[in-house]
Amino acid sequence: MTPFLMEMAWLVLKGVMALTFIAVSAMFLIWLERKVSARIQNRVGPMITGFHGALQSVADTVKLLLKENIVPTGADFWVWWLAPFFVAVPAIMVFVCMPFGPSAIVCDLNVGILFMCSVTSVSVLGIFMAGWGSSNKYSLLGGMRSAAQIISYEVPLLLSILVVVMEAGTLSMQGIVHAQEAGWFFLKPNLLVAFIIYIISATAEVNRVPFDIPEAESELVAGYHTEYSGMKFAMFFVAEYTNFFIIAGIAATLFLGGWLGPLAPSPVWFLLKAYGIIFFLMWVRWTLPRLRMDQMMSFAWKGLTPVALLNVLVTGWLLVIKG
Amino acid sequence: MFKLFVDIWQGIVSIFKGFVVTGRSMFRKPVTIQYPLQKAAMTQRFRGMADLRVEKCISCLQCVRICPTAALDLTSVTNPETKKKALESFCFNAELCCFCGLCQDVCPTKAIFLNALYEVAYYKRSDVTAIDLMAPDKYAHVGVLAAGKGKP
Amino acid sequence: MKTTMVTEELIVNMGPQHPSTHGVLYLELKLNGEIITDCRPHIGYLHRSIEKIAENRSLVQFVPFTDRLDYLASMNDNLGFCLAAEKLLQLEAPARAQYLRVIVAELNRIASHLLAISTFAQDLGAYATPLFFAMRDRQKVVQIFDELCGQRLTYNYIRIGGVAGDLTPDIARTINEFVLYFRKMINDYDDLLTHNIIFKVRSKGIGIISKEFALDYAVTGPSLRASGVKWDVRKDEPYLVYDKFDFDVPVGANGDAWDRYSVRIQEMRESLRIIEQAMGAIPEGDPVAKVNKVFRPSGEVYMRTESPRGDLGFYIVGTGDVFPYRLKIRTPSFSNIAALPALIKGLNVSDAVCALGSLDIVMGEIDR
Repeated sequence: MTPFLMEMAWLVLKGVMALTFIAVSAMFLIWLERKVSARIQNRVGPMITGFHGALQSVADTVKLLLKENIVPTGADFWVWWLAPFFVAVPAIMVFVCMPFGPSAIVCDLNVGILFMCSVTSVSVLGIFMAGWGSSNKYSLLGGMRSAAQIISYEVPLLLSILVVVMEAGTLSMQGIVHAQEAGWFFLKPNLLVAFIIYIISATAEVNRVPFDIPEAESELVAGYHTEYSGMKFAMFFVAEYTNFFIIAGIAATLFLGGWLGPLAPSPVWFLLKAYGIIFFLMWVRWTLPRLRMDQMMSFAWKGLTPVALLNVLVTGWLLVIKG
Repeated sequence: MFKLFVDIWQGIVSIFKGFVVTGRSMFRKPVTIQYPLQKAAMTQRFRGMADLRVEKCISCLQCVRICPTAALDLTSVTNPETKKKALESFCFNAELCCFCGLCQDVCPTKAIFLNALYEVAYYKRSDVTAIDLMAPDKYAHVGVLAAGKGKP
Repeated sequence: MKTTMVTEELIVNMGPQHPSTHGVLYLELKLNGEIITDCRPHIGYLHRSIEKIAENRSLVQFVPFTDRLDYLASMNDNLGFCLAAEKLLQLEAPARAQYLRVIVAELNRIASHLLAISTFAQDLGAYATPLFFAMRDRQKVVQIFDELCGQRLTYNYIRIGGVAGDLTPDIARTINEFVLYFRKMINDYDDLLTHNIIFKVRSKGIGIISKEFALDYAVTGPSLRASGVKWDVRKDEPYLVYDKFDFDVPVGANGDAWDRYSVRIQEMRESLRIIEQAMGAIPEGDPVAKVNKVFRPSGEVYMRTESPRGDLGFYIVGTGDVFPYRLKIRTPSFSNIAALPALIKGLNVSDAVCALGSLDIVMGEIDR
């Protein structure tokens, strides 16, 4: 076998591993969310299927697989049909440069973080397609809201990532991790500000409370995925939780030192940090009410973006002073 | 300008107070029970299905008259010699019953009462609309005074 | 080439099946973008002709039907009807029954307000947590009612001439424990919602009902008091033994959604005070009503009470027959919802949901 084929086979294997991880992780996160919410609300959550309901997500998936796929009358069929893929595929593609460990990465691109940010931005297209194609007024409103929201929060998000890139001097994910060997980034004050901005705008990026306006249940029923059922709905759901893991993973890599850590093997440290952030965001979700659309937009443009810009400026000065 | 920062600070504090509340409640005991597996005990005065102590009924028809939804149907025959009424049939329509408990309060001999059984489900509609209280053996949710059907 | 863009208003049917319409309310909204330009509420999806049923039932038989009016505060409906009937029949319940009625009515006010504030928070997007907290605390109230009368929702506890069952020492202890427990728990709602910055920016200044507007539309209950009108039937036209208790009538300042919410929170505290005083002063005696009386009402009577949602009035006309000739129910939700179209015009959808949630309507009461 030629070295080229060997390399390709190795890449495919790593890709399959990443895909397996995505599926298992999404299921685990759904189970975790149900358990965390149940504990916060003095309930017990799913208990019947498997140990403490651990297999509940599997059962749900099987149920969704068996369900009929209903196409709404008047739907723009191809737009409607393709939308879940436009949401799910970018979420999976991002895992190409997610560093689980020093060698546990599918492919360490030298523009890693740029690739991730650009690919995740594609999913807004899928959301808008779902809203448009469903021929449902609630879906349309949800899709439009979502597009506006994700585009607005992209700005502070990228500005906060920019600070990290300036500090690390590289776009590669592994490079950023290695730059933190001297000390995790969030310990520096300007990067702590960037971390907070990142967490807030990332929450908005994945449409979670308090920024869950696109799927605001009390207003828009279920937003852009109102009309989806069966496996199409499951794809939205999996994409949502995969994106959730992605933002936590990026936050862990950029600010909390990624897989760096003593004693335990590096993937353990990475997952520990990522799930810590996920747990915090779940806690947020089950605590806070939702902001209104215009309040949220003004918060992004008048609050977060100026602070993020200022932070970039200050970081630039600090770097110049340090030489 | 200063007020703005105070407002922002108070906002952040108020949000963290919310986190404290939900965080604290994470360590509280769950208040729910796993329903089909565990069942909470019914209270003393619980009003479930209508039930009858056949031997006590004097066919005075007070329960039939007070019932707001006409869920009870009673017929009796009068003994021509002793002028005493004997119960002939006593039908209870659980579909109409609103479980208000007026029949058991009005009964002079405590013959009719509401038992503590719930989860009433049958395969035949007639098993719900025309429950023959004289023959409780045919039904799972009436005749609790007979052996093996739970306590009244 | 010249193109002209034609825009039209979007008509959105909100309800009767929608997560935030509080039952089967159907709102026909005309939207310009997300701004509501017109709103037409359609009611009647839960109509059971209870007023007509009343003309074919004796007064005693009608009490279970009042449970089904405002199903979240059945005790208060029972109470309103029984007081009206007693006024018509010139009866008076024993002193112990009157105290018991006050206790259960106030407990039910707490249960009802708990649901009101938590579903309001749910409408503002606080996912499920306030709702489950409220359900957890409401369960304790419902458990007390279950022990008192044997049902959890349709109590039929207050009867003409008394109540259905006496207070046992066990139940009395449960009530006292609940008062202590809930006085502590109510602070959780304050921390979680009342002073939360997001909750405040969402609900302050939304759906303002001014004093004049409220009086014009006959808005009653917490929604009226939030507008700054100090009107509470318990205080101004005392019935039962309410004049013996020391309690305040909380009023709001601006009449916005947050004020309506906060008035409810404060009212729960006042209810706790009333329950505590009533439990301390409850006299001995037999409060249980005899139900086998046949009443032949004649004359007409109007009696109003303060239900958790506002003025609840029963108008009974009797002509000496067993059945009343006419029975009219003045329900607070019905007149409160009349203010809705004027209230939400010009707001966007999110705020409309907020305004609707803060009015705390119950469809069973509107459609009767």
